[in-house]
Order: sequence, then C-alpha cells, then structure tokens
Amino acid sequence: MITIEGVSRVRGRARILHEVSFEARAGRVTGFLGPNGAGKTSTLRVLLGLDRAQGGRALIDGRRYVDLDRPLTVAGALLDGSGAHRARTARAHLRWMAASNGLPKRRVDEVLELVGLAGEAGKRAGRYSLGMSRRLGLAAALLGDPPVLILDEPVNGLDPAGIRWMRAFLRDSAAEGRTVLLSSHLMGELAETADDVVIIDHGVVKADGTLAEVVGSHATLEDAFLARTAGEGASW
Amino acid sequence: MVNGHGAAGRGGAVQGRGGAVRGSWGWPVRAELRKLLSLPTAWVGLVLGLVAAPLLVFVSAGGTRKAIEEGFHADPSDAAFQPLGIGLLGALILGVVVLSSEYTSTGEDAPGARQLQATLAAMPRRGRLLVAKGVALSLLVAAQGAITSVVTLTLSRMVLGDLVPAASPGRAAAVVLYWVLLGLLAYALTLIFRSGVVTLTVLIVNSSVVSVSYLLTKVTPLAAYLPDIVGAHMFLHQVGDVHIAPVTAGVVMTAWVAALLILGGWMFRRREP
Repeated sequence: MITIEGVSRVRGRARILHEVSFEARAGRVTGFLGPNGAGKTSTLRVLLGLDRAQGGRALIDGRRYVDLDRPLTVAGALLDGSGAHRARTARAHLRWMAASNGLPKRRVDEVLELVGLAGEAGKRAGRYSLGMSRRLGLAAALLGDPPVLILDEPVNGLDPAGIRWMRAFLRDSAAEGRTVLLSSHLMGELAETADDVVIIDHGVVKADGTLAEVVGSHATLEDAFLARTAGEGASW
Repeated sequence: MVNGHGAAGRGGAVQGRGGAVRGSWGWPVRAELRKLLSLPTAWVGLVLGLVAAPLLVFVSAGGTRKAIEEGFHADPSDAAFQPLGIGLLGALILGVVVLSSEYTSTGEDAPGARQLQATLAAMPRRGRLLVAKGVALSLLVAAQGAITSVVTLTLSRMVLGDLVPAASPGRAAAVVLYWVLLGLLAYALTLIFRSGVVTLTVLIVNSSVVSVSYLLTKVTPLAAYLPDIVGAHMFLHQVGDVHIAPVTAGVVMTAWVAALLILGGWMFRRREP
C-alpha cells in the first residue's frame, strides 16, 4: 500500500507538486496519468526518497522509503534507464544489488530468467538495446520479490511483444496481491491495465478513483483525461 | 501479502543469516566491494597500483645506486621507499571511481539516468552508503598497498643490496596508511566535485607534472602541511626542505582527509541525485 499525503515540492520558483494526495492499494494496478512534465516522475522520486518534498508525506506500508532496512524486499522501483553502469555486465549489476540487501545469489538468475535476459546476462549493460535496458531495470526491481512495485513509464521503449508481456506481468502481479503503481502518459495503455486511475496535471491531482469512476460519462479515458487537463494541445 | 517478504524486511536481517550488525553494515560494504571489483576502470587502478612501484625499482635502479654511492641521499633508506610514492596513482583512481561511476550516464537512451538511482534504491540511507563506500575502498587500497610495499621493498633489497638498509615494518605500515588516506582523499574530493575527471586532473597534475603544493612550500614552509604532500613524511625522512615527524604527518593528513570527507558527505546528503 502506497500513501501519498499532501506532498508539495518547489524547485527554485517553480511549483512542481502541490498538495498531491492519493493511495495505491494492494491487489490493484494504480495508473498515474498525466502529460509530460505534470509531476508524475517527481512524485515517484519523492516516494523513493530521491527528491525532497517541502511538505506532506509519501509512505510505503506506513514507512518512508529511506527508513526501510531492506528496501528491495519491500518495494521495487523501475525508473528511467537500467540503473546499471554501462561497463558492468547485467549479472554483475544484479549481484551487487542482491548483496546490498542480503539476498541470495540465486535470485539474480531467477529474475534474469523472469525478464528473459538469462541468455545475455554476461553482456555489458552499455551494449543493451533500450528494450533490454528496461528489462534489466525491471529485473532489479523484482530482486527482493517485493509486495510493492513502482514503475515510471514501464512500457517506454518496449516493442509490441514487450508491451504485451509487461501488461500481463503487471496484471499478474496485482492478482498475486501486490501493490502496483505505474505512471504513464499513454492513455490507451492505462485503460487496458489499470484498476484505479489518478490524473495529475501541473502538479495538481485532477481526478482519483476507479477506472470507471474517472471515465465517468466520457466515452473513453482519453476524453476524460483531456476534459480534466484543460484540453488537447495544452501540453505540446 | 506476497511471500511475507515485507515482514522480513522490517526485521533488518534475513532469517538465520547473521545479526543486525551484518545486516546494517556488512551488506552495503559487500555490495560496494562487488561494485568496485566488477568495474573495468577499478581494475586499471588495482593493476596500476600493484605494478607501478615494483617496476620503478628496476627502471630507476641505476640512477638510485649512483645517487647513493655519490652521497646524494642523506638518508639512503629513503631510496627503497621512494618508488612507493608513485604507485599511489592506483589508490587515487580507486578513490575516484568508487564514486564517479555512480554519476556516469547509463546509456544514450536515458541520458539523465545514472547508477546512483539504483544505488539509492538499494541503499537509501546516504550516510551509511558513504561509509560503506569508504570502508570498501580502504580495504581494497590497504590490500593493494600491503602487497605492493612488501614486493617493492624486497625488490629494492635485491636490486640495490646493502646500499639500502632493511626496511622497518613500521615504515612499511606507514606506506599502507598513506595509500589508504590518499584513496580516501580522492574519494572526498570526488564527493565535493561530483566529477572524477576534475579530481583526477587536480591530483595527478599536482602529484606528477607540477606540484603546486610543493612550489608553495618555497613561499611558506606551512605549505608542507597541505594534504597531498604532508603524508609522504610518514615514511620518507627527506621530503622537500621541511622536516615533519612521521606521527605528526600522519595526524595532519588524517585530519585533512576527515575534514574533507565530512564536507563531501554533507554536500552529498544535501543534493538530490
């Protein structure tokens, strides 16, 4: 369970997040939707303790991420890129991550197998394609078999087969009882995977509810989204 | 709940695998050691550090022998230790890459992404992370320094024979301490500059091409207490024109390194990656 409570963040003079509040519940996929620059990544970075908020609280199972003793066993995060130094092999990257949280070495091979990288585990991360980098990032997120998954634009850079795989993976994870929070600017994608939807624009939450509630009387999630974010063309 | 892992996470240590100490500190240190040892650049530092000083013994044997025979060395015991002042290049490289590798972009497709994100995801307590890095670095450099000192000093005895007195273990230990402190100095500066290039340029130019610190000693003898040159007094009897006792040199250098580490750590904790 993820709890975001009144999180505000200012950078210089710019207001990045303003009193952002929502919850992502266990056993459900929560889609965090917004145009580029709306504050999705910022919210996730505050949740992971990478960026500081000037106000509010962002908690995972009631605790701040930075206070977790073995964070990889509580929450797995997929942010931009693979997270691996480009000169390191994928296996070496996952091995140090496993060591940092006292996880057994066999978990490394298990997650490599799970994301379909077992055959390329000895390759340097810098030589990976975009899709492979995402898979490696996901493998790292899954190392500790965490009950909470936090994913920033997880389908970015994936080919159609990869997107389908990711969709099934996220649904399965929620079905197993995990909390899945993913951000996206792709409405069609979210409409297919999310149970709950949070719409954010200019750092302010515009809608929050189940997919059906957020779509409401609109024909599609896209229509609902555009109606709530000041219409088309606003973000580009 | 999924496999009850969330509950295990709160306990701090994995079931049956050591206590809280190992969980809190042992894991991050092990992770940082693994990280360093799986980085090609770190191996450049390791190998360079191991071979540079012994190699120098051979290369400079003729000149050193002549210098001692002509009485150029007021203290011939220094001759055996001097090459060890060069091999520390390896310690500098290790001290830099332990941190600069965190800031390298992970790839063209995600220019803003760095390993630091993965590191902080795995070890979000920044203070603990920095200590773990420092410990891993010190262990590696100490091992490197110990091996290199023994090999270099033994070779010196073989090559120069009775021209140099047998090295005392205390002085050899001082060399190891000197290397570790220099590695930590490089680490501290990289924490401050956030760039390996800047730190390495400053340290290498200053130690090999033109030593600004050494030139400053011509202006004021106090410059001999600057962090990059004071440490050499720990194991060399004659450095420049200023005499500093080995223990004093060790204390001064340790104080410098500690102060810079505290400053660098403070800056690291304030920044958002």
